[in-house]
Amino acid sequence: MRGAERVKRRRFDVLPYVLVSPAVLATLAVVFYPMLTAMGMSVYDYVVWKPSASKFIWFDNYLAALKSDLFWTSLKQTLLWIGLTVPMQLLLGLATALLLNRKFAWRWLARMLVIVPWALPSVVIGLMWRWIYDANYGIMNDFLLRLRIIENGVPWLATSGTAIYSIIFVLIWQGFPFFAVMLLAGLQSIPKELYEAVEVDGAGIWGRFWHVTLPGLKSVLVTAILLRLIWVANSVDIIYVMTEGGPGSASHTLPLYAFALSRKAMRFGSASAIAVLFTLMLLTLVVLYLRRVDASGETRT
Amino acid sequence: MKKWLLFALMGGLLSASSVLGGQTTIRYWYHLDNPDNDYLKNIIKVFEEKNPDIKIQAELIPWNNYYDNLYTSIIGGNAPDAGEVKLMAMPQLVSMEALEPLDAYIAKWSEKDDILDDLWSKMVHSDGKTYLLPLHYIVSYLYIRQDLFDKYDVKIPTNRDEFLAAAKALTRDTDGDGRIDLYGFGYRGGRAGQEHWGIFALPNAKEMTSAQLKDPWTIEANQFVVDMFRVHKVTPPSAPNDAFTEIMGAFRGGLTAMTVNHIGSMPQVVDALGDKVGAVKVPACGKNGEAWTNFGDEENAIFAASKNKEAAWKWISFLATGPYNKMWTDGSAQLPVTKSGSRAPVPDRYKRFIDATIASLPFAYSLPLTPATQEFVNNVWPMQMQRAMLGEIPAEDMLKAFDELFNGN
Repeated sequence: MRGAERVKRRRFDVLPYVLVSPAVLATLAVVFYPMLTAMGMSVYDYVVWKPSASKFIWFDNYLAALKSDLFWTSLKQTLLWIGLTVPMQLLLGLATALLLNRKFAWRWLARMLVIVPWALPSVVIGLMWRWIYDANYGIMNDFLLRLRIIENGVPWLATSGTAIYSIIFVLIWQGFPFFAVMLLAGLQSIPKELYEAVEVDGAGIWGRFWHVTLPGLKSVLVTAILLRLIWVANSVDIIYVMTEGGPGSASHTLPLYAFALSRKAMRFGSASAIAVLFTLMLLTLVVLYLRRVDASGETRT
Repeated sequence: MKKWLLFALMGGLLSASSVLGGQTTIRYWYHLDNPDNDYLKNIIKVFEEKNPDIKIQAELIPWNNYYDNLYTSIIGGNAPDAGEVKLMAMPQLVSMEALEPLDAYIAKWSEKDDILDDLWSKMVHSDGKTYLLPLHYIVSYLYIRQDLFDKYDVKIPTNRDEFLAAAKALTRDTDGDGRIDLYGFGYRGGRAGQEHWGIFALPNAKEMTSAQLKDPWTIEANQFVVDMFRVHKVTPPSAPNDAFTEIMGAFRGGLTAMTVNHIGSMPQVVDALGDKVGAVKVPACGKNGEAWTNFGDEENAIFAASKNKEAAWKWISFLATGPYNKMWTDGSAQLPVTKSGSRAPVPDRYKRFIDATIASLPFAYSLPLTPATQEFVNNVWPMQMQRAMLGEIPAEDMLKAFDELFNGN
């Protein structure tokens, strides 16, 4: 009888694997296989239309990337891109979530509208903002000229001083609703009794925020920042639509550099090397972030 | 078991019916300057009436990504049967073994003598084979705002110095609000802007050999282009990023008084500006008065992987046949490649543009036809040009990058 039960349990244990296998197989096919192919390609002088003529060149593609000025420019701009976009999206998202968590008339409408930038396809956003920023006919210049904030129209996307910041602004606008929605859900899960307890202890607005709200949002914040960090780091679409990485290299980031090398120049070997280098960097950043979060969690407990 | 039999029978019937129907589908890729005017649909209708056994599945690909998509589709094994290809893309496509030689088809083609004689010689690749069948051609000329030239008494430029003088004279604050609202020249620093750059930099460097790119004249001419933006400021501040849409929009909207493009953009320009617009040859900017302007060609090719090459040939040869080629060029507002089409009368309002095109033909050139040309156009030229315009690199470094690409130096 006990033996029969054990067999039954063993059969039942197969079910999770069966259920999870389609997702695992799909991930293996569309993520791991291309990733391994890219790693393999990165050590070849890969002639894409004549694979038989490809030469194994060890790490020459990596060395060439590290020696290239454009690689370091792109890396610097990638760090700027992530370093400005994610914190600004977080701050704006947090402020929006706190506002939307208060009761006011038409709150349902505000909650609906705030999600619009996040819901729009990136290509639409890129095209829309390209026209807003248009140096000659864009409404951004028109607006600022009417307010006399600027004296002459600014070619926002055509100078190295403004191009990347203009695109970062767009990405902040597009991405902050993600934080707002996630944090709003987190805020609603914080028990009201905790606020009442700290109020009894004499805590003000800042005290309530610091001792209840922020710790209550910790798990949501960790997940949201991690996801956004990876998405923002890898995002290419908006930059490509708005400037194609230009003018010159002014808005090149590493993923865009790899994309341009593969798609425009058909240099899949060099592009793969850059993609692998960037993956390693991003992986390091993510591991450091998670270890830091874990460490701070342990300190508190 | 019965179900399987039923499915097998149904499948068999379906495949038999498609064979019995005998209709071959040809996937054809094309691009348009003005996607709102899809004139190809009418041509397909006529073709399919005449060839009921062939169905044309035309796929309109955005011009900016046409070649990116084409190369990717070839590499991915999903190339169309036939499609538009420019001469400059031929070397790379031939080295990809992606094009079908057309010599045997052309030899048997009854309409081959109607194609303009000069065009056949341009189609021959360095391996002696012909891979492309002409479709239309264009030559870049200078669009000018004739009314503004008259109003400000500016001489139409014929050389580099006169061009700069005219551009300076036309760059002005027309309404007295302290802001420049008219620029002399709408320069194209973005995608495909090598057509503008070449007017100044290539008259003595057509082949882009190492010696030509290192020649002091070419270096000075290249510096001249950068200086128009950085020093003389005769181009709009957005020039480094400006591509077709922006330069033509600025010209039609009255922000620029001169720009360079071809007859394909003429209908929209004439609609916006009417008789205010004129067309003249580009200035001769060479050392000894030589000129260079872009020979913009468009051909059709059959891709080597096509399983329906005979049907694909019927379709592309139809597009190069007198009356149907004229239908195409009437729609695209470009020039027919047939002798019969070239003899057709032209409306008066378009005549000045045709005249400027024909006058520019003697010095109209393609970029050097090498496998590097595509990368030059897509990647290297825009990147280097923009970096030089923004002052990130000295202008001379542009030419060094081109030398490295074309000549490996």
